[in-house]
Amino acid sequence: MSGHSNWPEWIYVGVVIALMVWVGAEAWEAERLVEHVPEGAEIIKVTGQQWFWTFEHEDGTKEIGELHVEKGKAYKFEIHSKDVNHSFNIHDYVILMDAIPGRVNTVWFAPTDVGEHDIQCREYCGLIHYNMRGTLYVEEPSS
Amino acid sequence: MKKLVVLFLVLAVIVVIPAVQSAFAAGAEPGEYLDRRVVIWNLFFKMMTIAFVVGAVVSGTMIWQCWRFRESHPKAKPTAYEGTDW
Amino acid sequence: MVLELQKPRPIWQIMFSTHHTDVGLLYLISSLGFLFLGGALALAIRAELFLPGAQIIGDAMTFNRIFTVHGTTLIFLFIIPFASSVGNYFVPIMVRYKDMAYPKLNAIAFWMIPPAGALIWLGFADFTWYATPPYSIISAPGPAADMWIFGLKILGISSVLGAINFIVTILKCKHPDMSIGQVPLLAWSFLSSSLIILVAIPTFAAALLMLLTDRLGVSGFFNPAMGGDPIAYAHLFWFTFHPEVYVLVIPAIGMMYEIIPRFSRKPIYSFNSGIFAFVLLSIVGFSSWAHHMYATGMSFTEKTVFMVGTLAAVPASAMHVFNFIATMWNSRIKFSTPMMWAVGGIALFFSAGAGGVANAAMPLDFSTHDTYWVVGHFHLFVMGTIAFGSIAFLYYMFPYVTGRMYNETMGKIHFVMSFIGTVLVFFTQHVLGLYGMPRRIFDYPPIPEWIAMNQIASVGAMIIGVSMAIFLANMIYSSGKGQLANTEDPFGVGGKYYYPFEAKNPSH
Repeated sequence: MSGHSNWPEWIYVGVVIALMVWVGAEAWEAERLVEHVPEGAEIIKVTGQQWFWTFEHEDGTKEIGELHVEKGKAYKFEIHSKDVNHSFNIHDYVILMDAIPGRVNTVWFAPTDVGEHDIQCREYCGLIHYNMRGTLYVEEPSS
Repeated sequence: MKKLVVLFLVLAVIVVIPAVQSAFAAGAEPGEYLDRRVVIWNLFFKMMTIAFVVGAVVSGTMIWQCWRFRESHPKAKPTAYEGTDW
Repeated sequence: MVLELQKPRPIWQIMFSTHHTDVGLLYLISSLGFLFLGGALALAIRAELFLPGAQIIGDAMTFNRIFTVHGTTLIFLFIIPFASSVGNYFVPIMVRYKDMAYPKLNAIAFWMIPPAGALIWLGFADFTWYATPPYSIISAPGPAADMWIFGLKILGISSVLGAINFIVTILKCKHPDMSIGQVPLLAWSFLSSSLIILVAIPTFAAALLMLLTDRLGVSGFFNPAMGGDPIAYAHLFWFTFHPEVYVLVIPAIGMMYEIIPRFSRKPIYSFNSGIFAFVLLSIVGFSSWAHHMYATGMSFTEKTVFMVGTLAAVPASAMHVFNFIATMWNSRIKFSTPMMWAVGGIALFFSAGAGGVANAAMPLDFSTHDTYWVVGHFHLFVMGTIAFGSIAFLYYMFPYVTGRMYNETMGKIHFVMSFIGTVLVFFTQHVLGLYGMPRRIFDYPPIPEWIAMNQIASVGAMIIGVSMAIFLANMIYSSGKGQLANTEDPFGVGGKYYYPFEAKNPSH
């Protein structure tokens, strides 16, 4: 249309593309790291249903609404749902994975400090979605 | 131009080497688990650093040009197209 | 002039008209009506969240219904019809044709909106604008949910008909002397967004039908109890609605392309890169839908593919920002109300885009997905960019529609308050999301940071609410009693407006 040169725009687009490549590479690397489940992680089965969480440890003990884990161990959550979609979330440990009926989704973490953390549902699941909460207790290792 | 190439090469090395190092170093020792909080929040803060730098440049440019090219600015002069039916 | 209050036409003459400016006026008025209705719901939500515990909304179900209808209304009944209004007014003029290609179809497309709006508002469904199964199948109370499904179905047909009309008008009815490369960028924006609609909407139309039969119990497409898969719905939904985001944003960018050169008193920096970015965005927009679904248990490979697809859309959007900045360079800008809104919209468009890049980075999804970060992010788009561009354009075409000028001071107050309010609400919500507050919750535990940030957001929302009241007063008063506009050059910036003042009161 107009007779001016376009090199500033080309440089600008180049910078944007370079930035996006950098973002993609960094994100890819970080995702690869957090998705790699360490061997020997203890499995905890997480069941979401309207409107509470149930946890089943490897040794068969079940907990409702609260989850006790030991610090320094790795845990792998196997998450599924009995009714509608939920999303299992421990925000302090940046854990988030949808609980979807008919599927088992996994996510892992290794608690580092003793303490209490909120567990919540982050996917809309109906009437009491806002109060579908629980507590994570990280305790000293028993052995 | 050559200086620019060198500059970008240096920048690339500065960015790439730590990334490669962390990729190979992480989770290498047995019994030591990767802390997902560290990985994810590190990524987040890195991206926010870049985002805010770029944002400062872009919004700074916009604020400056809104100030400089407003019609009430003392140095404002008509554009080449004024008075024509462009 | 279309809305001549000096010499009013009987209302039925406008209602049963098929002339593009009359249909545009109908679109305009109904979309503004829904803007205020949806906005009122937003204020109710913000008032409720001002403090933990029930405030003004008695129970969670009502709250869930309110945010569902809020989202559905503002996206489908405000943003899209508003864009159609602008398109109806300006596209035929820009391609130098007497009307839209199919005037009757045009009127039909508009008249589908009121019944659809009635279905959505009388039903008041509670399953979020995303209607996610299996909740929407097994748990959502009817008939609200079914009414919502029918309402959306009708709106889908309406936008497909509108899209066909725009495409034919632009491609087939443009003046023979005009090459496609000479069609103004606003018309180009309608061409690209209409093409997206044609490709994207049918998928959702199919998903809605399946949702309905699932609700009736005769099928189980998305019902795990019957062997279906809820994730399939998510794919179908986002295959439509991620491109739909570009359907919403592209016309708003097109409106800015009309306003910014006009008030900068110089042509757009690069017309061709504007066209290129529109077309590129409408193609690349289809490669990113599943970034909404990182948390549903996708594989690493899938996530990577959709992250790359999402990042690929960024350069196209960034080209628009560059184009705007380069156009304003070395210009002489008149900061009338439309220009203020447009420039504010670009600034917020950048912020929204930067947040979008962070969203695309897969690991960050663990901390931000389905929190208030996301709410803040997409509201920066729909409010900060699209509504800002739309309101800018409403002020810009006000003299054309009414033959009068709006009150400039009130327009500027409207902008300043809305801009401050938008920043307060949606930037704060980003931070609130980082503190982990989930979306769509009626009540929250009394965590001090959550309370503080919710209160900031609520105050911001009230500021926007007041500014919108000023806006409404300005529009109503000025359309009847405002100063008569200089129809040759209402803003005193020179150049050639796309204002067909010779095309007066159509009577067919």
